Amino acid sequence: MAVRTPRQIGEDVWKTRIEKVNAELVTLTYGSVVAQLCKDFTNDYIQVNEQLDKMGYNIGIRLIEDILARTNSERCRSFKDTAEMISKVGFKIFLNITPAILNWSQDNKQFSLIFDDNPLSDFVELPDDGKAINELWYSNILCGVLRGALEMVQLQVEAKFVSDVLRGDDTTEMRVTLIRVLEDEMPVGDE
Amino acid sequence: MTIYSFWIFDRHCECIYHKDFKRPMRQLRPTSALSSTDPKQRNTSGGPPKGSGPLTVDDESKLVFGVVFSLRNMVKKLSGDQESFFSFKTTKYKLHFFETQTNLRFVMVTDTRVDGVRPILEQIYAGLYVEYVVKNPLSPPEHPGGEGVNNELFTLGLDRFLRPLSIFE
Repeated sequence: MAVRTPRQIGEDVWKTRIEKVNAELVTLTYGSVVAQLCKDFTNDYIQVNEQLDKMGYNIGIRLIEDILARTNSERCRSFKDTAEMISKVGFKIFLNITPAILNWSQDNKQFSLIFDDNPLSDFVELPDDGKAINELWYSNILCGVLRGALEMVQLQVEAKFVSDVLRGDDTTEMRVTLIRVLEDEMPVGDE
Repeated sequence: MTIYSFWIFDRHCECIYHKDFKRPMRQLRPTSALSSTDPKQRNTSGGPPKGSGPLTVDDESKLVFGVVFSLRNMVKKLSGDQESFFSFKTTKYKLHFFETQTNLRFVMVTDTRVDGVRPILEQIYAGLYVEYVVKNPLSPPEHPGGEGVNNELFTLGLDRFLRPLSIFE
């Protein structure tokens, strides 16, 4: 069997093996989650970011199994391969977007995902309280998803947004940093 | 041809699912206070008992895990991280192994004539484990302390999937 590129895998799975839902349903569902969090934490946006990240983490640790089960792909050989899989397979099959991978650091342990299109933030305008625009990372759930999913394949990463068009920036950019490759766990006890 | 037993181990090296099918050979001692005549508690594979008397299910799970884990590590050391082993065979049984990238390990012990179990293990992972256990939002993502997968849909699905197979007789 010929080796398939991440783009082919992503396209393939997206076309044949994914049940689609209405995009507005997703956007509005996510929107109401963020809105509720803002209310619950009385507009403490730092807390909201944190909660979104946690929720994303819990999604990510499950979602990774779904990707692996659907794509049946081999283990990535380098962090560059991982980045390709995240963009061309992960984001493709769950959100039908393929964020661009840019700005690799010298040591190949950091890269940026540039979101030209972000289905989560359609229709969104940040609240005009002078705080949200500096503090809230509206799509922060995605950072958690990446962190959770990658941890399950033994990659500990840090993911955070560094700019967002919602805040008036030119691009929406997420910075992903590889912290370390986790070791296999050993059995405890004497057996 | 027949399947003797089936095991799932998680990335923390804990046995999170275990099911016995046909037990032609040695009986196991149950771990808990269950009756030892319970047919579910009998088993066949495993290494030699350390002391006298039959093995407990717990002991056997540790032995099974120990052997697949060591073999897997040895294979990786010898021929690189991408490498994995599929099965090994003794005079009495054959053990098949499949590991996911998330370090879930699926093990099936069958008689010696059974071939090609790997696709079956992959299907159990993709079609049953991911569908019923991972995607069930109320099922915990981890199963610490050997609590294990306690999921009726998964158990039923596994049974329904394995019984019609030609290797299950």
